[in-house]
Amino acid sequence: MTMEAAPVRAVTWRGLWLAPVVLGMTILAGTAIGETRLPFVTVLRTLANHLWGAGYPVDGIEAGIIWSYRLPRALVAACCGAGLALTGVVLQALLRNPLADPYLMGLSAGASTGAVLVTVAGLGGGAISMSLGALTGALLAFGCVAVLARAVSGDVGGGRATQAAAALILAGIAGSQLFNALTAFIIARSANAEQARGIMFWLMGNLSGIRWDDVGACMAVSVAGVALCLWHRRGLDAFTFGADGAASLGINVPALRGSLIAATAVMVGVLVSKVGAIGFVGLVVPHAMRFLVGARHDRLVPASALAGAVFLVAADVISRSLVPGQVLPIGVVTALVGAPAFALILVHGARK
Amino acid sequence: MKVELRHLSARIHRAPLLEDISVRIDRGELFGLVGPNGSGKSTLMRCLAGLQRPTSGGILVDDADLARMPARHRARRIAFVQQQADTTDRLTVRQAVDLGRIPYLSALRGWGRSDETAVEAALTAVEMTAFAGRLWHTLSGGERQRVHIARALAQDPRLLLLDEPTNHLDIRHQLSLMALVRALPITRVIALHDLNQATACDRIGVLSGGRLVATGLPRDVLNEDLLAEVFGVAATRHAAPDGSPRLHFSHAL
Repeated sequence: MTMEAAPVRAVTWRGLWLAPVVLGMTILAGTAIGETRLPFVTVLRTLANHLWGAGYPVDGIEAGIIWSYRLPRALVAACCGAGLALTGVVLQALLRNPLADPYLMGLSAGASTGAVLVTVAGLGGGAISMSLGALTGALLAFGCVAVLARAVSGDVGGGRATQAAAALILAGIAGSQLFNALTAFIIARSANAEQARGIMFWLMGNLSGIRWDDVGACMAVSVAGVALCLWHRRGLDAFTFGADGAASLGINVPALRGSLIAATAVMVGVLVSKVGAIGFVGLVVPHAMRFLVGARHDRLVPASALAGAVFLVAADVISRSLVPGQVLPIGVVTALVGAPAFALILVHGARK
Repeated sequence: MKVELRHLSARIHRAPLLEDISVRIDRGELFGLVGPNGSGKSTLMRCLAGLQRPTSGGILVDDADLARMPARHRARRIAFVQQQADTTDRLTVRQAVDLGRIPYLSALRGWGRSDETAVEAALTAVEMTAFAGRLWHTLSGGERQRVHIARALAQDPRLLLLDEPTNHLDIRHQLSLMALVRALPITRVIALHDLNQATACDRIGVLSGGRLVATGLPRDVLNEDLLAEVFGVAATRHAAPDGSPRLHFSHAL
């Protein structure tokens, strides 16, 4: 047998150049399609006018719709989709649980409690915005869940790391139930029918109120999230055979797990505070991408972020155009698509 | 790699699991750990792998304190094959073995030729090169265990720890796995349930109730009195055709 020098397997980044193109096209489509359909040319001209003052003549109202409403909305949708999908990737990898999703840690429950405290119970007397209340609630709930998980698993010095994963999931369920009950209590006690409907709508995910003010924070957290996950891609790979496997590969498991989960919690907290709780993106997109690009995180992280962004922009377009004259909560659309897709993944996985 | 345990004790939630264990393992030695269920074999393996901190005492590897060694450096010297490690991820044999290079890679230092060579060598050592493209979930138990060993060898370790690697394997895979482990040229510590397999080790240590009650050559240590006292079984010993000791267990005492 002849010994040949093993060829170095380069990471196949084939098609990576497509990612920004696909993302750009999706955002353009999300900007053009809506109740009043606007031609692509108008969209491009409006963008050119605003970005580098090209001075094309465009209809003022159309330009206003594009620049002030649809574009920030599409951008925030893309950021949320990427962020939520990424959080799903991280949690499913670190906790070794295929059902882990961004809301597992009580984030959406805490966010809704914070939101109703501000809007319904009048906490802060108008000085606090709803999204700040939601962010505080989300992070507070995550804090409770993390403390509870630590109390359950016990502080065994570097010990049974697998137990810690199960403890976090159980604590997340308990925390979510508690905060959901608090939300229901506040609504039942002090909300009128109109407020209750508004809160219900917000809880299912709502991009209607998005303006340019919201874009910066969403973009910052989602870009930082992608960068952080790519930086730790090998650490995430190391968890393939569980937390002990990762530790024996030289990963500082409590530090990596703690920092990544806390970082994604902050990311989801910011996103949820802007758009409400949008389900199924974090659960379904990572599973679908594992089928397409495999379980290695150098490809799974960018693929999931991209797919999540495209999926949520598309879901937003559908939510605006499915019922004429009415905007559906985007969470309804993601669940209508996501639940069957998830069932399909489960059945497909079981056959393997 | 030379390993030295000095008065090692470990406890979880105040329950003592290991008490005052001292032993030296020489470079290149195959050291077997035996003992009844709950005697502390797995805890000792976890301590050696650096996954669990001893509550007192310490472990010296080539005269360096294991507890003070950064995790990445530790993972370049010590590889650990866990008792049970499975995954639901769809990954190939080669990808599973690639994981062994993680201690050498960083966010900025990418996959290189030395990594490729190490993975190829590891696959060759466990005779799984032909399986490199197979998906993990299509492998049998024995093949998976070989891949785990290949992943550990890809770490290029000087100490290989194996926690009951022959569990759940059929007899043919048990024997071929033991032959594979025996042939490896590095220091190995292996926890075993099958006492007849333990006779293939250079030296063995017997754990009972978290204490190391005997160490030495298998033929000296595994005698009728010890088997009765530690394992609670009546056994007779005779020589196999090749002269190595064979144990015959008749009944529980």
